Parts: sequence; C-alpha cells; structure tokens
Amino acid sequence: MITFENVNKKYGEYQALTDINAEVKRGEVVVVCGPSGSGKSTLIRTVNRLEEINSGAILFDGKNVHAPMSRRELNRLRSHVGFVFQSFNLFPHLSTLENITLSPIKINGVKREVAREKAMALLDRVGLAHKADAYPSQLSGGQQQRVAIARALAMEPPAMLFDEPTSALDPEMVGEVLAVMKNLAAEGMTMMCVTHEMGFARDVADRVWFMDSGSILEMADPETFFSAPEHPRAKRFLSDLRH
Amino acid sequence: MIGDIVIIIRDNWLLLLIGQYPNGPLGGLAATLILSVLSIALAFPVAMLIALARLSKSPFLLWPSTVLVYVARGVPLLMLIFWVYFVVPLIIGTRIPGFVTMLVTLVLYEGAFLSEIIRAGIVALGRGQMEAARSLGHSYMGAMAWVILPQALYNMIPSILSQFVSTIKDTTLGYVINVADLTFAANQVNNQLLTQPFQVFFILALIYFVICWSLTRAAIYLERRISNKRSGRGGQVPPAMSAQALTAEP
Repeated sequence: MITFENVNKKYGEYQALTDINAEVKRGEVVVVCGPSGSGKSTLIRTVNRLEEINSGAILFDGKNVHAPMSRRELNRLRSHVGFVFQSFNLFPHLSTLENITLSPIKINGVKREVAREKAMALLDRVGLAHKADAYPSQLSGGQQQRVAIARALAMEPPAMLFDEPTSALDPEMVGEVLAVMKNLAAEGMTMMCVTHEMGFARDVADRVWFMDSGSILEMADPETFFSAPEHPRAKRFLSDLRH
Repeated sequence: MIGDIVIIIRDNWLLLLIGQYPNGPLGGLAATLILSVLSIALAFPVAMLIALARLSKSPFLLWPSTVLVYVARGVPLLMLIFWVYFVVPLIIGTRIPGFVTMLVTLVLYEGAFLSEIIRAGIVALGRGQMEAARSLGHSYMGAMAWVILPQALYNMIPSILSQFVSTIKDTTLGYVINVADLTFAANQVNNQLLTQPFQVFFILALIYFVICWSLTRAAIYLERRISNKRSGRGGQVPPAMSAQALTAEP
C-alpha cells in the first residue's frame, strides 16, 4: 500500500532520511518509533508530500507520490491519504461538524445534507456526536484530536497517517484517542503511526519500525521488538524508556 | 461661537452636503463618502491580490507586488497624487478628472498598506492550518479561501479598520488637485466668510470624526458578531476585551 524505495532527504547539508526501504501492507498497522530528531515525522510527512524528497520513490497504492504531476493530481492524491497532526490543526473558525464537512463538500462536491449525515455518523464513531455544534476552542485536546481523526476519515482515505497524535495531550486524554485508533485498526484500516506510546505499539501494531538518525535500523513484529531487539541502539532506546 | 456654527451650517448646508451640484460636479460630503466607499471597496480586493502575490513563489507575481508595496510605503501620498495627476495624462495623452485620479491613487496606496496587514495576518497563522487543509486535499487557493483568509482577516479586523479610517481621512488630500470634496467645500465657505476659520474647520473636523467613529462602531459590531458565532454563543454579546484581560495582574 505504501512503499518506500531508496528514499533520501536532505535539509541543506543535513541528511534527514537515508536510503529508506520499507513497506506498509494493506490493512497493516505500522508504528514508527525512535528518539526525537530521528526522522520519524519527516518520513511520515513525505508520504503525502508535505515534505519533498531528494531521491527515491514512495508508492501509494502503486502510484509514485513524488513523480512530477499536476497540482490537481497532487491534491487528489492527498485527499486519499488521511493525516492526523500532533497539534490537531482543527479549523478554529468552524464548528466541529463544519470542520468535518468542509472538505467533502468543497473538494468532492458532496451535497451538504449528505455530508452532514456522514459527519454525524463519524462523530458518533469517535464518541463526540453531542459536540457537533461546538467550536474547537470549547473542546479538550483529546476531543479535538478525535474530531481531527473524524475529519480525516470523512474523505474516506484508504490509509491513515498519524504524526505523534497523542504527544500534545494531557496524560488522561491519551487513552480516548488511542481507543479510537484501536477501533480503526480493528476495522482493518491501513495505518502508519509515529508515536511514543509503546503500549499502543505492543497491542495494536503489526510491525514496529525503529528509526535513528534518518535510517530505519530495525523492523520487527512488536513481540520480538520489545522482548528481543536486535540493534544495540534499539536496546538502548527501550531501556531508556523503562526508566 | 456655537451660534456662529449653527448659522454657518444653516447658510451653507447644501454646499457642504453636495457641493455645487447640479451646477457643478457632485461635491461636498456626498463626494467624500462616494470617494471613501469606492476607495475602500476597491482597495480591499486589490490588497488581497497583492498579499497573495507577495506570498507567491513566482517571481512574476512576487517582484511587481513587492515593488508596489515598497514604493507606496516610501513615497508620501501627496507626491503620489501629484505624480498621477501630472504624469499619467502625459503618458496616456488625455486628461483624467481629479476624482478618478484620487480614486486610483488611493486604491493603489491604501491597497499596498492593506496588503501588508493581510499578509501579516496570513503569516501569523503559522503553517499548521495550511498543512491541515492541503493534507485534506484542498488546493492552495481553496485552502486560502475556506481556511486561511477567514481566520486571517478576522484576526486583523482592528488593523484593517485603522487602514479604512486612514483612507477616509486621506480623501481630504484630493483638495490639492481640486477634487470638490467636503474639505474643498468647507474651504469655499471659509473663503466667503473670511473671518471664521475656526468655526468652519471645526464643522469639518466634526463631520470627519462622526464618519470615522461610525465606521469604528460598525467594525466593533462586526467583530463581536463573528467572535460570538465562533465561540458558539449565538446572540449573546460579550464585553469587549479590556486591557486588564491582557495583563497578568488581577
């Protein structure tokens, strides 16, 4: 579903990603972890081209995201990749419901009533149907992030990307967001998720990718990764987490 | 003195209101209002275009817009008015009425300043909102229209209002190229009376003050209505944010 082929990215002289070769299969949940500055966020942001790459290819559903293409094609491609940000990025001038319906209406030309109905169903799914008319400023961080997930789902993406979705949350709100993500995973959604929530990785992930200084050092199923990591850097990372 | 003012208004109200119309061009307060409304109404969309051009990566948009803004900022409005008044007819080979000269100059000048306000509002929003909109599949212009500008313009209402008020006050400079506006009419009155400049110009100042004050009230009303809607409070009117709300002390 998402294939990285020899992906390299530089910021000036700084090599942010080095020879990334990896694949997220359809229906798979991949958790990307690693110390901060290791390139996890950069990697996930290259998938819908929020970051450009210097060489290599990223195939999404068989199509190279970084091939030259018209703006219209790129917009359509992006609408097929759900993206959830660390900082939620809800649109503060729109109500919860309008946040979700804006894109289906404006981009896909969905009728207003149809979009509202679907948005209500999505809100129900993330447990926030009663907040449909609230504005983002009236929601807690956890609620905002759940709305952000519903907003991304409204475009019916075949895959969802999560860039540290719980890092900006108070500890007691992390659970509600992870629960929504778990449900999504259980429904068979293809997910790529940068997170520090190792419990989530253990319970939900099919594969764990461990990154450091722009490279993927280890790919393993969570069982193996957490009990017997191979790479010394991964061992150090996991033992640091436990302290 | 109040008596003098009342008498001046009683004798000259028509001149102050519409100038020498229908025996001359429409002038006085009517001309001032028309010039102000047209200037603001045209400067605003022009400013949006300049702001977007200044944020563009294309040098064909970036360069001309930047030059326009720098020239408008660097040259006094009066010089700009003289330029347009004296130079443009030489270039296009025909005279243009003072009113049109004034309108064009004001639209460019105020548009340049307004564009910087709008640009600041857009830049201040940060990258997150644009990234969120683009990642949902919105085009750049779509994201601007539905996500960025509604926030940026709202945040900038106070600055935009100041610029609108400046525009109204800058219409008085039309006097130097004989645009028959309110200032021009007041000066005609003063030239007739000769002995009461304070009273005449007091009337003039008062009228400008009332116009600008009304605009300010309208903008505050608009700002409150939007902020009510966006905080989900419906019709309730919250108190305007006091200075105290911005300090740490209780």
